[in-house]
Amino acid sequence: MSESGSAAVALDGVSFRYPGSGAGVHDVTLAIAPGELLACMGPSGCGKTTLLRLVAGFLAPDAGSVALAGVDVTTTPARERACGVVFQSYALFPTMRAWENVAYPLRIRGMEAEERRTRANAMLERVGLSAHADRLPRQLSGGQQQRVALARALVFEPRALLLDEPLSALDAATRLTLRDEIRTLQRDQGIATLLITHDQDEALSLGDRVAVMRDGRLVQVGVPAALYDDPADAFVAGFVGRANLFDATVTGPEMLDTPFGRLVSRPLGRRAGSRVTMLLRPERVGVDGVAGAPFEANALDVDVLRDAFHGASRRLIVRPAGSNDTLDVQTAYRGVVRRVRIAPDALHPLPEAGDAAPSPRAGVSSASASVRPFLRKEIP
Amino acid sequence: MLARWITRGYLAYLALPIVLLVVGSLGSLWLNTLLPTGLTIRWYAEVAADPSFRRAFVSSLVVAAATASGCVLIGLPLAWSVYRSSAPRVRALVRLLTQLPVALPALVLAFGFVLVFSSDTLPWLGSRGLLIAGHLIVCLPYFVHTVLADMRRLGLDTLEDAAESLGAHRGQRFAFVVLPAVRHSVFAGLIVVVALSIGEFQFSNLVAGFLNRTYPIVLLQAFYGATGFACAATVILLAVALAASGLGAFAARGAGPRAAAVPGA
Repeated sequence: MSESGSAAVALDGVSFRYPGSGAGVHDVTLAIAPGELLACMGPSGCGKTTLLRLVAGFLAPDAGSVALAGVDVTTTPARERACGVVFQSYALFPTMRAWENVAYPLRIRGMEAEERRTRANAMLERVGLSAHADRLPRQLSGGQQQRVALARALVFEPRALLLDEPLSALDAATRLTLRDEIRTLQRDQGIATLLITHDQDEALSLGDRVAVMRDGRLVQVGVPAALYDDPADAFVAGFVGRANLFDATVTGPEMLDTPFGRLVSRPLGRRAGSRVTMLLRPERVGVDGVAGAPFEANALDVDVLRDAFHGASRRLIVRPAGSNDTLDVQTAYRGVVRRVRIAPDALHPLPEAGDAAPSPRAGVSSASASVRPFLRKEIP
Repeated sequence: MLARWITRGYLAYLALPIVLLVVGSLGSLWLNTLLPTGLTIRWYAEVAADPSFRRAFVSSLVVAAATASGCVLIGLPLAWSVYRSSAPRVRALVRLLTQLPVALPALVLAFGFVLVFSSDTLPWLGSRGLLIAGHLIVCLPYFVHTVLADMRRLGLDTLEDAAESLGAHRGQRFAFVVLPAVRHSVFAGLIVVVALSIGEFQFSNLVAGFLNRTYPIVLLQAFYGATGFACAATVILLAVALAASGLGAFAARGAGPRAAAVPGA
């Protein structure tokens, strides 16, 4: 609780279970600093939306406490919490015009008609919609509706902004524009924000910090680069970006036995003979068009199994000669790929089981002996 | 091609009795011929002048209006609480209770009413209040279903969550969010209720008192008299029913296309 004094949003040991099911969140402790944008991501059903509903006050926790700006609001109803919430489905009132939607929270607060119209229009101007103030929601595009929803959530100067997958219902182009607008607006208003998303790209690019959830628990919280470069476990490594993950045996201070043969790594600080799960990001694999060169450490002749062109880059699935496992490779190289090179410092060991502070049970000791490519996320 | 002819045949089959009713109501004599002879509006004038028909017409309108009001007062909060209830058991129970009258013939309900309300403790059989209560039971499920379906389509729970986060208490949410959002389906539901109530025969025939008989019951008596008179009386009932469904179609069109409501994740 010491931390919650300065935090805009603070969850302390919060648990919630949906009646009649095992789903919910378990023992979540999390703080959002004033002006900070925390992106919370995870697979569907991991409890991230539940977390938002607990902060908003739509759900009451079974255990733990929720505080806003240092004030305990665990038992405060949603309408008194003053959190601006934006929903995936926009949730605009269909019979009210754009400006009336934005003015609604001011009307509830008893503001005079003239004043609230002025304020609503000013807020609509901030989101670039002053020309559409008199339209009904159904006369607006999805992106415009979500802008109105954003204006409505911010107009009453809430204590926190809660965004529940705000971009998921929009088409790809609108999603990118609105993503930048949300960031700008959030920075300008300096409001603490919780963004719920299943889109890793969104989380990494928008979040000051990113929280990864799984099965109702926080697995790791950190700045985006830390999550990407130093994931707490195989789940985070596979969920945040693409990853080659494989089990290896330490054979020397800088030497590993992997499914692809013996590789040189940077100093690992693990004792010889111990098992370790290695992370190799696809873009860290170097490629070459010439195969069968004289011996070279960490260079492997490969067969290309799959080759997908993505414009700025190519994604390849390759199988090193003499191995049954494959590697995921991302490169800008346009030629025929015959050989890959793995720089020693591109091989990153995941923390040993028990090292990962937030969730020891998601440790790597359960990693299978073979390579487990986490291929579920597409590179945009 | 075949489908089109089947459709035409079916439409003709539907329309024929109605056309014959209209023809019959305007013919002065219709005994043993295929079509009546002579043209007259005498039968309409007679129906309009008949005191028992006038009384029944008014009685039907009063009962229908009262049933409609009852549906809004009881059905709207009921639909709202069913929609908002998260407990599966509550939902199942209410679903059963509201669907029972649909499955159960109104006749069974009427027998129940006759048994219970002819007793000395509850001697209300034949009163207009009891008639309205029965109509309410018959009509309520249709109303609740219409409104409930609309609430689900609109994603009303998310709208309410939004309103709540913006500071609205329960009453404000109902007045500013729920009511405006479902107004079209409430109207459409009421049209169905009025049409059902005006045409209801099974229940009313057994439960209505002599002085507050509804139109369909008096109509049955008409068929023991002149054909033209019976036809005219039926056409009047038909016109009221058609007006009701016409209004319903109009209301449904007024609902129009709305913003797609994506169910909350």
